[in-house]
Amino acid sequence: MTSLVSARNVSKSFGTLRAVDNVSFDIEKGRIMGLIGPNGAGKTTLLKAVLGLTDCQGSLSVLGLDPFRQRKELMQNICFIADVAVLPRWIRVSQLLDFLQSIHPRFSRSRAEELLSSTDIHSNSKVRELSKGMVTQLHLSIITAIDAKLLVLDEPTIGLDIIFRKEFYANLLNDYFDEERTIIITTHQVEEIENLLTDVMFINHGRVVLDTPMEDIADNYVELLATAENADKVKNLRPIYEKEVFGKKVLTFEGVDRQQLQGFGELRTPDIADLFVAKVKGAAA
Amino acid sequence: MIKSQVALLRRELWEHRAIFVVPLVVAVVMVLTSLTGQVSVNDLKAIDMGIVGASNMPENARSLALSGILVGLSSPFVFAMWILTIFYSLDSLYAERKDRSILFWRSIPCTDFETVLSKLVTAVLVIPLVTFVIIIATHLLVLLNISIWIDFRGGSPWHLIWSAVPFADNWTATFVMLLALPLWLSPFIGWFLFVSAFTKRSPLLIAASPIVLLPLLEKILFGSSVVAETLFVRSVNMPLFAGLDNMDLLFQGEDHLEKLANAKLSLLSLMDLGGFLSNLQLWLGLVVCGLFSAAAIYVRRYRDES
Repeated sequence: MTSLVSARNVSKSFGTLRAVDNVSFDIEKGRIMGLIGPNGAGKTTLLKAVLGLTDCQGSLSVLGLDPFRQRKELMQNICFIADVAVLPRWIRVSQLLDFLQSIHPRFSRSRAEELLSSTDIHSNSKVRELSKGMVTQLHLSIITAIDAKLLVLDEPTIGLDIIFRKEFYANLLNDYFDEERTIIITTHQVEEIENLLTDVMFINHGRVVLDTPMEDIADNYVELLATAENADKVKNLRPIYEKEVFGKKVLTFEGVDRQQLQGFGELRTPDIADLFVAKVKGAAA
Repeated sequence: MIKSQVALLRRELWEHRAIFVVPLVVAVVMVLTSLTGQVSVNDLKAIDMGIVGASNMPENARSLALSGILVGLSSPFVFAMWILTIFYSLDSLYAERKDRSILFWRSIPCTDFETVLSKLVTAVLVIPLVTFVIIIATHLLVLLNISIWIDFRGGSPWHLIWSAVPFADNWTATFVMLLALPLWLSPFIGWFLFVSAFTKRSPLLIAASPIVLLPLLEKILFGSSVVAETLFVRSVNMPLFAGLDNMDLLFQGEDHLEKLANAKLSLLSLMDLGGFLSNLQLWLGLVVCGLFSAAAIYVRRYRDES
């Protein structure tokens, strides 16, 4: 299978700061990749490099194109939502549709109108008259109406209430996603997208800390909830992270067979947020 | 390329409604002034005298007088157009960064070159064309208004107005003037676009600063005024009227005016279009405009907006 996005030793510096530091990864077609990292980890810079909005060192190929030098061609097959505030506030919904119809070869106006007809957004409304949630709905509708191969979402639901956030992701899956399309998504609300993802990539201080399919997490990572006494007994299996919860120890293991931990406490697969903390803090310890 | 350029130009017209609104406001003022100006004439005899006077004028003189009225009507539009062009150019690449919509505009398949080109085309072509159409409408409305008064007082509007106005000459000259002005002032437009692309705040202040400060600095440091003269000449002395010295008309008296009138004055004949288009200063200015526009494209492409 050929990669939709292929990065080899990609770096980007701002002065002395290496925002993205020698990163390599591949994203295949039909996947939903969650890019997770703390503020300033380099997520947005990496996404900008993928979108051709910033130049970088190393080799980066998106849909077989050099994103920075072939951005126009790339943008015919990529959509992105940077955050809810980027649609121009002065534009009318009908003008937005007119504009995209005339400039975007893969935009289907009828599809956008069909999607918008199930919302409260009127075609003669200006973006500035819409609520934050409605602007996001509008943005997602027009992007869904573009037959693009890759969708990049950078904190798409920031500032939205829980109902709009849930609706956004439901619409994303129902209306946009299929096996021909690929999504890269970053968000701080990891728990809300955990069930959508097929792959996850952790990034910290500009470096990739973890890059794995979701289905492999259960095979490679296990969390043990144990008494302090039992926890001491399995320390030789070198947990990557440990913490205390309600007087019990929680140990996270990588590459350890669950059989070896049986009988020492409760075993479970860590959720993404816990795994992220384990990988980032564990590496720092 | 052409299709995307048309879409981008439509975007400019949607976003910058002042492109229509400013000349329309000038038009409304001019038309209302012509209406109220005549309504306030309380002595209808004055109108009658005017009609008689106009009827007795030689045809050339009547043509010249009417052409003068049209030029008088057009002048505020030209002034307003230049003010509009300044503010449009300064806002064109600044507003999208200010409201962060640049991230949306950069998500669509068109290059920074195409986007900046659409701003430049709007400044040098679209604004003059919109202004031109509204000038013509204003001319027609004001002449219609005058005609109604003439008809009301028993004169012949066809004879006094419509058959006498040198429409083709006047409108062609106006059209040439409106297109020539932004070309001649293009170094300023390029500079404004560049400022609009890079400044984080107060584009007008940033753009005006070197225009004001550089001549001052030169005067203080070197005692010369090359920059000031260059800017002044560029601002006021467009070589489109190379064959005409404005001062001649003022100081050569009635004889000269009469001669001009008898010569069946044509506005177009006062223009030296060939001389204008072959003027080295014009082309140097266009090169400067091109360099500033290229710099604006570079800044838009490489600047990190996060």
